[in-house]
Amino acid sequence: MKEGLRQSMAWLHTWTGLLAGWILFLVFCTGTASYYKDEITLWMKPEAHQSMTRQVAPAAATANAVAFLEQRAPKSDRWIITLPSEREPTLRTMWAPPPADPARQGEQRPRRARFGNATLDPATGEELAAARATRGGEFLYRMHFDLHYMPVIWSRWIVGICAMFMLVAILSGIVTHKRIFKDFFTFRPAKGQRSWLDAHNASAVLALPYHLMITYTGIVTLMFLYMPWGVKAVYQDERDKFFTELRQDVAIDPKASRVPAALTPLQPLLAQATAAWGEGGVGRIVVSHPKQTNAAVALYRRDGKQMSVDQPAMVFDGVTGAPVSPPEQAAAPAAQTQGVMIGLHAARFSSAALRALFFVAGLAGCAMVATGLILWAVKERQKYAKALAKGGRVGFGLRLVDGLNLGAIAGVPIAIAAYFWSNRLLPVELAERPAMEAAWFFGAWGTAAVLAMARPSRRMWQILLAVGGVLFAGLPILNLLTTESHLGYSLSHGLLQIAGFDLVVLVIGIGLLFAAKRMGKSRMNKVNKVNKANDPAPVLASGGAA
Amino acid sequence: MASTIRYRAGVLSRTVAAIAGGYGLSALIAAALALTLPTTRAEAAMTGTLTAFVVYPVAVMWVFACASALRAWTGLLLASLLPGAVVLALGAFTGGAA
Amino acid sequence: MSALTNGLLIYAALAAALAGFAGLSLAMDRHWEALYGRGSSPGDKTRWLQACGTAGLLLSLAASLALKGATQGWVMWLGALTAGAVVVVLTLTYHARRLIPLAKAAAASAVVATIAAQAAYAL
Repeated sequence: MKEGLRQSMAWLHTWTGLLAGWILFLVFCTGTASYYKDEITLWMKPEAHQSMTRQVAPAAATANAVAFLEQRAPKSDRWIITLPSEREPTLRTMWAPPPADPARQGEQRPRRARFGNATLDPATGEELAAARATRGGEFLYRMHFDLHYMPVIWSRWIVGICAMFMLVAILSGIVTHKRIFKDFFTFRPAKGQRSWLDAHNASAVLALPYHLMITYTGIVTLMFLYMPWGVKAVYQDERDKFFTELRQDVAIDPKASRVPAALTPLQPLLAQATAAWGEGGVGRIVVSHPKQTNAAVALYRRDGKQMSVDQPAMVFDGVTGAPVSPPEQAAAPAAQTQGVMIGLHAARFSSAALRALFFVAGLAGCAMVATGLILWAVKERQKYAKALAKGGRVGFGLRLVDGLNLGAIAGVPIAIAAYFWSNRLLPVELAERPAMEAAWFFGAWGTAAVLAMARPSRRMWQILLAVGGVLFAGLPILNLLTTESHLGYSLSHGLLQIAGFDLVVLVIGIGLLFAAKRMGKSRMNKVNKVNKANDPAPVLASGGAA
Repeated sequence: MASTIRYRAGVLSRTVAAIAGGYGLSALIAAALALTLPTTRAEAAMTGTLTAFVVYPVAVMWVFACASALRAWTGLLLASLLPGAVVLALGAFTGGAA
Repeated sequence: MSALTNGLLIYAALAAALAGFAGLSLAMDRHWEALYGRGSSPGDKTRWLQACGTAGLLLSLAASLALKGATQGWVMWLGALTAGAVVVVLTLTYHARRLIPLAKAAAASAVVATIAAQAAYAL
């Protein structure tokens, strides 16, 4: 490559962006949705909405959780209790499966999948059994890095490789962007390729710190999977020691003693932690080896006070209640850095306002990827202008990209909306309900993708965008027809999470419908209109705008 | 046509250099830092790994900015010498060289 | 910090960012022309616009730090900058005439909100 730096970086930017673009679009959409995964889960469990209006003290909620776990999972080796919060007002419990479970032998599934879990009403300690079975927002969140229908190791590698491509794309994009300051505020619509470039530049540059941060921190979240060599060099085969040494964890005996002992009451421990961390300061309680002689109770602080995802913990002996953890020490710099990086990525610390800003930036990321993909196709189409004018067709590569672009950019919103629709339409008592909801997601996406591949024309863009728009905008109406927590109810009862969901999907739906409408108005002049009849994919060459 | 083949071979060569060579270089740097940084070993391993993900994209960009694929490979190999030597010398990996 | 102080500071951070970017954009010939026709230029006003623009961004930073503290404050600021910039770009593109009145309103209200937040905090 004898060209200059700018040109070689432009080449690199184009290819890394294109090849990873379709998967990255899915990752960005599901990731952006994940900022509100708790709210999504709530919306998808209308039966839980009643319990939201009551405030329950942590001590009472804890007692209810313990009572439930003692009854449901007495032999389990680990109980995890997540206390109610503003964003997630239910009481969540998880427990490790009992040790002598023959089904566990030789299983490949990740440990988490084998945990039992139940969502409880914090006031009564009863399982929200009436709440329909759904994975809620967790489905989208897990898809963000675990994809679906494949072993998680594969998906995490795929997503990780795409993230590395993304990082290279961002950095090379910065190098190649000639007038990054001069063009900062520039957006010229209805000018064809120029407009798509402006849109791509704007969505990329205006949220550039976010894009850099989110990409790098995303990789950092799974970095020991991708780059184990640092740890390996120093620890050889004793990887686990690395993690305990890093967090300066209190070593909790991994082996259960199997000798029964009474579990110390948790209320005094809760009181101690609340004294240290403030009212409502306890987020999670993990009981290791409950009701055994070497039981340990760890209380973790709630997210929100600090950016790092590693919350301080207070550890107590599970039989006597005596504190076991050393006085709180700050994590060492590199561990702290990793904690903050993961914290920034997941943004659990953020308040409502910050979270909204992150969401907006995430949407900008989706726009950046989409406009980039479309820009490639528009530019490539210029090369076929003469051939098209003679009634010819575009090359295979462009045809493929056209189909993939449409299938991704219009397909993913359709899939997400279909997932939400399935939640309201599938019978509550249905067996394997979560799997069925997932099937709707993929069925809808598959249908859209097949249509997109078959005929990626301007008309199809219009149709698919409009379908997505109708599905999204129709959700509040669907909500009204199928539940009691419609917008009027949620707003008047202060159920802001539910109301927020309805409003945001409405806005997204209107946005998609607006995009579909703009696809309809063709700015092409008479000559091109003749060719439009011949070329099944004259899409977007005129900028797709009025 | 020969120039197209040469061009494509160059792109392929650089792609391999960037992806595989860049990864190798980053891995060596991660290991070398983990072995030599003056902090606790957990800290060193963490810092090394974090650094590797800054090195990797820069190495990829550098490979494609080079005037030729040959220069790209040469540069990567040269850059790997020091961390490679450190890793070898400190005998990190059981079963031989990294 | 009360909900009122919270809200006022959030508003101040966003409005100041908007006003700041409006000023900085108008300091550029290209965007000045969008309002005053081709070939025109801010001329003498350039420095003034740049200074006001920067002041707006700094006020946004101050409000963000006051609201969220030394670490999260920077994160909040970058988010406010993104939001403000997006609004300025859209206004310049589709309703250029409204940019100056919008910017003035944003600037004035940002200052008022900051002062009010101080007062609310003190009380």
